[in-house]
Amino acid sequence: MNAPTLSERITRGALIAAALFSVCLFLVLPLVSVFVQAFAQGWHLYLQAVRSSDVLSALKLTLLVTAMAVPLNVIFGIAASWAITRFDFYGKHILITLIDIPLAVSPVVAGLMYIEVFGRNGWMGPWLDAHNLHIIFAIPGIVLATIFVTFPFVARELIPFMQAQGSDEEEAAVVLGASPLAIFWRITLPNIKWALLYGSILAASRAIGEFGAVSVLSGHIRGRTTTLPLEVEMAYNEYNFTAAFAAASLLTFAAIITLTVKKIIEATSGVHTRAPREKDPA
Amino acid sequence: MSIQIENICKNYGAFQALKGISLTIESGELIALLGPSGCGKTTLLRSIAGLETPDEGAILLHGEDSTRTNVAQRGIGFVFQHYALFRHMTIFENVAFGLRVQSRAERLSRVQIRERVNELLHLVQLESYARMYPEQLSGGQRQRVALARALAVRPKVLLLDEPFSALDAKVRKDLRNWLRRIHDELHVTTILVTHDQEEALEVADRVVILNAGRMEQVGTPQEIYSHPASPFVYNFLGNVNLFHGRLLADLSPVDPAAQQQAHPAIGFVRPHEFEVSRSAGTDGRTLPATILRLNAAGPMVRLEMTVLDASKPVAVEISHARLRELSLREGDQVYVTPTEIRVFNSTAADDLVDFGAGI
Repeated sequence: MNAPTLSERITRGALIAAALFSVCLFLVLPLVSVFVQAFAQGWHLYLQAVRSSDVLSALKLTLLVTAMAVPLNVIFGIAASWAITRFDFYGKHILITLIDIPLAVSPVVAGLMYIEVFGRNGWMGPWLDAHNLHIIFAIPGIVLATIFVTFPFVARELIPFMQAQGSDEEEAAVVLGASPLAIFWRITLPNIKWALLYGSILAASRAIGEFGAVSVLSGHIRGRTTTLPLEVEMAYNEYNFTAAFAAASLLTFAAIITLTVKKIIEATSGVHTRAPREKDPA
Repeated sequence: MSIQIENICKNYGAFQALKGISLTIESGELIALLGPSGCGKTTLLRSIAGLETPDEGAILLHGEDSTRTNVAQRGIGFVFQHYALFRHMTIFENVAFGLRVQSRAERLSRVQIRERVNELLHLVQLESYARMYPEQLSGGQRQRVALARALAVRPKVLLLDEPFSALDAKVRKDLRNWLRRIHDELHVTTILVTHDQEEALEVADRVVILNAGRMEQVGTPQEIYSHPASPFVYNFLGNVNLFHGRLLADLSPVDPAAQQQAHPAIGFVRPHEFEVSRSAGTDGRTLPATILRLNAAGPMVRLEMTVLDASKPVAVEISHARLRELSLREGDQVYVTPTEIRVFNSTAADDLVDFGAGI
């Protein structure tokens, strides 16, 4: 390429400056202000707020919900992408579209849908009531909502990856006499592990931060059905800014951790940085 | 192990990939399935392996009907076009895989597995690569690993699906000679799928030529080359001149059956089956020609000529000695006499695909 001319350099400089300015204004500044606000009353009050039973129980519930939703999504994601990339069946394209529904539907709508199904006046409400099962305004509802919003992440990560890898290696293993289970553990899983981990990280960060769907289903019972994002809102509405920003800072830490893990996965595995199958040098 | 294929048919929706193939392969034979892409050769190979299930017909392995037998139970070694090595395993582990997944009763001990793998790596001359990963090897080396992996479980049949087509010309040539040597050493019944006629004719004991899901001809490389059974085979073997014409009674070295009727026909002449001279001579078959291009780089001198008023140029090959003798130049007027012509009725050539014959 030729050396850039003066006007090209000016354009480039202006674009970079504009991008940096918007990143600072819309991302960095608000992020910093979360911590500024959290520590506004000093370290002591911050720690007290974080250690308060409400924030701690919200943190525990958030982690519990994430720990339940992510593995379920991993299982579903593997099953769906295996079916889609390894078999031809009627309705395959419909399934691919269905997987994307949670990305298109507003989480609040998702929450309302579950109330419609499991709520007291919903389709399954009377039956659930009769068996003394609580889903709405209880932890199972929160888990359901979280599963719904994180549904596509693992599958969407795996499908293109498994498509690119093809089924050659699995066929080779079949011919060599490996059982389906052996093929899954020894060939498929090791090949998709990074993409799977990557998808799980995305699902986990979404699960931790989910507000809308969870808000509809939780019932906002302090110490019992409140996740961290809900705790932020509740504390804020009560003008308890230190507590609100303390909870917010925990969420921000979680985001930073997941982003770092994601970056490490990208760097070590090559997921999202290079094609899964490189061209073979002859 | 012998293989009998009885009237195999396979459809993919409306597309008929195999239209009734029957073939017997003797134990210890090396067979090449040769044909253009889409002719069904890979489908046939995968049906034998059990990776595809034929819609009709039967496959007998060693006299036993194995059409519905599980892939794993067929005792087959399969080599894929793109190697299909397990990318997260070392070369050693790749070769050992088939041995490690055997049922507990059949499985060799650790020490035996190590010995067997080392023996195979020695066979494919890759002992020093045991600890490397597939992506650290060249294409040719990877395909040798794939072959060692397939041989590890002592298959009774070795199936190779265009194993050398992703490699460059020189490596391809080395590997096919090497494959022949390995076959002569082990005598495993081997089926090689290829679209490269040179590869098939050079390596195989017998060649099966497939076209659009049917067998065109089966025979030794010598038979196939000397007596192509159909215009398709002649054309597919490549490097041939095609003449359209009307059969005349006095056209001498011709298929006697076709000679009886004087109707439209096509004749095939290979480039080296021409005599080139400066004078017309007395032979009735001699034709006047003009040299368009002359290429003397290579073991033979290649001439491109217009013969009579034919629109397509004709390819002719002569020796360097003959070139010096005649001191030919581009633009020269000469006379060519075909020494061998194979004639087919035009009707037989209706399904002939033009592979760019003539050059």
